[in-house]
Amino acid sequence: MALCLPLLVCAPACRRDAQAPPAPAPKQSVRATLARMKGAVSVKRATGDEWQAAVDGTALYDDDKLRTERGGSAELHFPSGTVVVVSEDTLLGIAETRAAPGRPQADVTVLRGAVDATLDRPANQSLTVGTPAATVRAGREIVFQ
Amino acid sequence: MSHALLIVLALHASATTASPAPGEAGGRERARAVAAIGSARSAIGQAPAGSARTEAEARLADAESLLARARYAEAAAQADGAWKLLAEARGERSHFAVAVEPDGRTRVAVREGVPVRVEAQGRTRAVRAGESLTVARGESPGTPQPETGPAEPPILISPEPGLKLALEPAPGGLGPVRFAWKPVPDASGYVLELAGPRKQTFRTTQPVMTVPGLPAGKYRWTVRAVQGDGTLGPPATRAVQLVPGRIKLEVKETPWQ
Repeated sequence: MALCLPLLVCAPACRRDAQAPPAPAPKQSVRATLARMKGAVSVKRATGDEWQAAVDGTALYDDDKLRTERGGSAELHFPSGTVVVVSEDTLLGIAETRAAPGRPQADVTVLRGAVDATLDRPANQSLTVGTPAATVRAGREIVFQ
Repeated sequence: MSHALLIVLALHASATTASPAPGEAGGRERARAVAAIGSARSAIGQAPAGSARTEAEARLADAESLLARARYAEAAAQADGAWKLLAEARGERSHFAVAVEPDGRTRVAVREGVPVRVEAQGRTRAVRAGESLTVARGESPGTPQPETGPAEPPILISPEPGLKLALEPAPGGLGPVRFAWKPVPDASGYVLELAGPRKQTFRTTQPVMTVPGLPAGKYRWTVRAVQGDGTLGPPATRAVQLVPGRIKLEVKETPWQ
């Protein structure tokens, strides 16, 4: 019985790790959603210390990190409609966004690897990609309400 | 003098010229106006002649006049209006790639659409479609260069252009649908994008992709090669229509014997 107790306690957590996306940080706006994943893709929450396997539909929040391994890839779908394809062997973070109300903006920080971004309506969207060497801004620079 | 250089000079001037003590907030507003004017000027430089460009040029002139009179917020609004006017007139999407090299250098390549702005060390460069730019850590952005790599888009093979493809029912709709193209030298893979009743993106290492089933309707399919640095090459696009292919044979009685 004493041996069974730890197993019973562990079981729900283990099931969650294996089948569900990493638990989101509570009460935050979804910054992006993962889709079209291929190969090994993992997420580290801003509030957590461990990398966890991601699944299609995993929501990403401010300061979450995303990692693709060799042969892995994923798409980040932002609420603005912006799509960022994350190549293999890439490490990026979802940057905190301080957009004005109604201003569809997306920010990511690429620390390693490569991304490919598409803004379908650049006149009304903006995307900022930060890297260790530069800041890349696409779409509308300033949106006036 | 190129527009990119003008942006750099304008931003440099904003950082080094003594302004009439605008305060921190005023300095931010001025910098924002200068950046917006730089973006508008760059977009005008790429825009074809026409009414949209003429109007944008007029707005840019207003913005520059307002900037000179230290009316920064209004200058930014005018410049932003000029940029937006041209972006909407072009009706193009913005497509670009960013790669971080192992040594920390950043490479930005713009595939299509309005220019992308690259900032480093307080300077900004506009990178236009078909150009790329590399920035080393702690250095200012260099001069954009014509894009290199597999400059040619993939040569699409099948389905043939404008084909109406009759298919059997399959999971997800009709199928299977086989998309094929010629290999691109030095490509590490390919991205296939479908736009139509279902919008979907596939990545593959082979110059072929078979989709088990798709809803009936008209699609545009686009293929790009993945280059060695992980960025995408120029696109090749075709249209195809998927229709139910189960042929019904209706035999009617005929009076002839």
